[in-house]
Amino acid sequence: MEAQKSGEKFVVPIGPQHPALKEPGHFEFTVDGEIVTGASVRLGYVHRGIEKGTEDRTWTQNIYLLERICGICSHVHATAYVLGVEKLAGVSAPPRAQAIRTVTAELERIHSHLLWLGVAAHEGGFDTLFMYSWRDRETVMDLLELISGNRVHYSANVLGGVKFDLDVDKMDAIRRGLDFLEERTHHYMKVVTTDETFLARTRGVGLMTREQAETLGAVGPTARASGVQRDIRIDAPYAAYPDFPVQLITDSGGDLLARFVVRLKELFECYRVIRAILDQIPEGELTTRVPRRIPAGETISRVEAPRGELFYYIKSNGGEKPERIKVRTPSLCNWGTVVSVAVGHKLADMPMLLAGIDPCFSCNDRMVRVNRDQSSQLWSWEDLRQYGIKYYR
Amino acid sequence: MNMTLLSILALLVFPGGLFLLGYGLAYEYIDRKLVARFQNRVGPRWFQPLADVVKLLAKEEIVPHGVQWGLFIFLPVVALAAALTAALYVPMAGQVPSYSFSGDLIVTIYLLSLLTICMGLAGANTIDRFSMVGATRVLTQLFSYEAPFLLALLSPAIMARSWQISEINIYTHNNLWFVLTQPIGFLVALVGLMGKLELPPFDAPEAETEIVSGPLTEYSGRGLALFRLGKDVELVIGLTLVAAFYLGGIANPLEFVLKTLGLLVVVAGLQSLFARLRIDQTVGLWWRLGALLGLAQFLFVIFWRLVLK
Repeated sequence: MEAQKSGEKFVVPIGPQHPALKEPGHFEFTVDGEIVTGASVRLGYVHRGIEKGTEDRTWTQNIYLLERICGICSHVHATAYVLGVEKLAGVSAPPRAQAIRTVTAELERIHSHLLWLGVAAHEGGFDTLFMYSWRDRETVMDLLELISGNRVHYSANVLGGVKFDLDVDKMDAIRRGLDFLEERTHHYMKVVTTDETFLARTRGVGLMTREQAETLGAVGPTARASGVQRDIRIDAPYAAYPDFPVQLITDSGGDLLARFVVRLKELFECYRVIRAILDQIPEGELTTRVPRRIPAGETISRVEAPRGELFYYIKSNGGEKPERIKVRTPSLCNWGTVVSVAVGHKLADMPMLLAGIDPCFSCNDRMVRVNRDQSSQLWSWEDLRQYGIKYYR
Repeated sequence: MNMTLLSILALLVFPGGLFLLGYGLAYEYIDRKLVARFQNRVGPRWFQPLADVVKLLAKEEIVPHGVQWGLFIFLPVVALAAALTAALYVPMAGQVPSYSFSGDLIVTIYLLSLLTICMGLAGANTIDRFSMVGATRVLTQLFSYEAPFLLALLSPAIMARSWQISEINIYTHNNLWFVLTQPIGFLVALVGLMGKLELPPFDAPEAETEIVSGPLTEYSGRGLALFRLGKDVELVIGLTLVAAFYLGGIANPLEFVLKTLGLLVVVAGLQSLFARLRIDQTVGLWWRLGALLGLAQFLFVIFWRLVLK
């Protein structure tokens, strides 16, 4: 690190290793005193080559690989994938399977939003709220473990259905857990909207108008907090959402407070939908038969992840393995909003602003070859290996 | 001054030196444990603060590029020494202060500020950007809480007609607790102490999610251990001062333990109640509210003293 000369821009680097970041990313904030005058973002530290990896695996194996794109919204990735593949194969999962998929997805949304609430509070230096919301999040983690046997990667989906059934005991356990969580969510809503020190950090911070959100292509709760009416569960219902519709939650505030309010209100909607599904869960089979070879063709699959619209493009050439799978995760759409609203804010607001979009780094790292002229260089795996051996010799 | 055996003991064992270090570590443990329990966590074991210090002392101290070497090494020493020296003038454990002279209140407050100034210098000394931002925040915060804190400690001094801590201690012991008659001053003093020690919600200078560890980002090993010890010592001295001034004085060790512990519980509670204030909010809070309230009470006390008595 070089000493900065006077007159030069003072740049505060955040990341790739920084206590505010739970995953690696690099942000450079140009500051004038405490005021941010410029922001840039650089991603790509956790590129894992999953899209390429899918081309070497069978349709079934890919469920497990794609579920590992994200450790928080794992189920929703698998759901987007299996819905797409089922569409290609021309089958559809039985209604009971769709309902169980939806219940798992909504439980996952609860866990994700509670996790986010804690992280955002921590970034704002409100560790008490962080600890309490994560303690209560354990309830929903336990529920997910109860129904699926796993806490993080639930592996609920198989092609053409789901793996596990919900019996009466499990449904009762879920209802009890939801009652507790609903009560706690009311409390957090009160804290977030009435605590003066917290309001001072969120009200009017990171203001994004509806026009800005539309222009920047924001998705999910980030966009809905700016009044954008966009929710895949409503715009293009999938799984059990046609039978159990959710209410669109928006807020016209556009600031950090609105993002808190929207996500907390969505929690109430999650509780309502899960209860509705559990009360009228369709009877029937859990799986339907899906051929091993998926007919040639291409399709897209869109689902609403906790962070916004998750988009899958799937292409089959009629074999046992997909020809191409393209994933566009919601965090990728929301980065632009952080960089554009950061200017003019205090340095102290940056961590909360970053956390405000509920970023997920590892799921949006892509390798894109942009510079195609002579100066660009393309290395094969073997080149890289040889370079590494030489470098460390 | 003759260096008798007694004065050496006062410097090295009680009230400065070993006693204060041990007591400071114990209070750090209680503070951490209380905050942890308030936040529904388990919290550290009783020897954790000591273990931290031992570990840090055993570690390599890295002097980064671009720093003034002497300053980097000696600032932590000066900081801890200043905090330990301040202990000589306060009624530690209810005993008569080891050294006492007219006006030692001002000296003590100055010595207590030295730790903060050292931290600011330590941050500005390195070329790390987090340290630099931290250093400006430390000094900004110093200028915001120092005046109200001083005013809040001067009010009891005016009432006691003395600027000597031991005399104020005796005066408060023989009168109604000032926390009842001057609640504003008590609040300003206690919250000012939290600002001084950079405890949440006034921890903007070392906000880990923004600037890693603020001015101490580049410190490791011995330097970090000394700064941390300095803070622990200052916590004890600060609590003792507030207890002596506002909670009816400290006459014996039992009172000392009970009153400072009581204050520590309040401080720990306040730490876990609020979100971190931005540095501009901290300054705004102190100058718009703290300083004005402190000043109003200070003027009232002077008025009371001059006109009504």
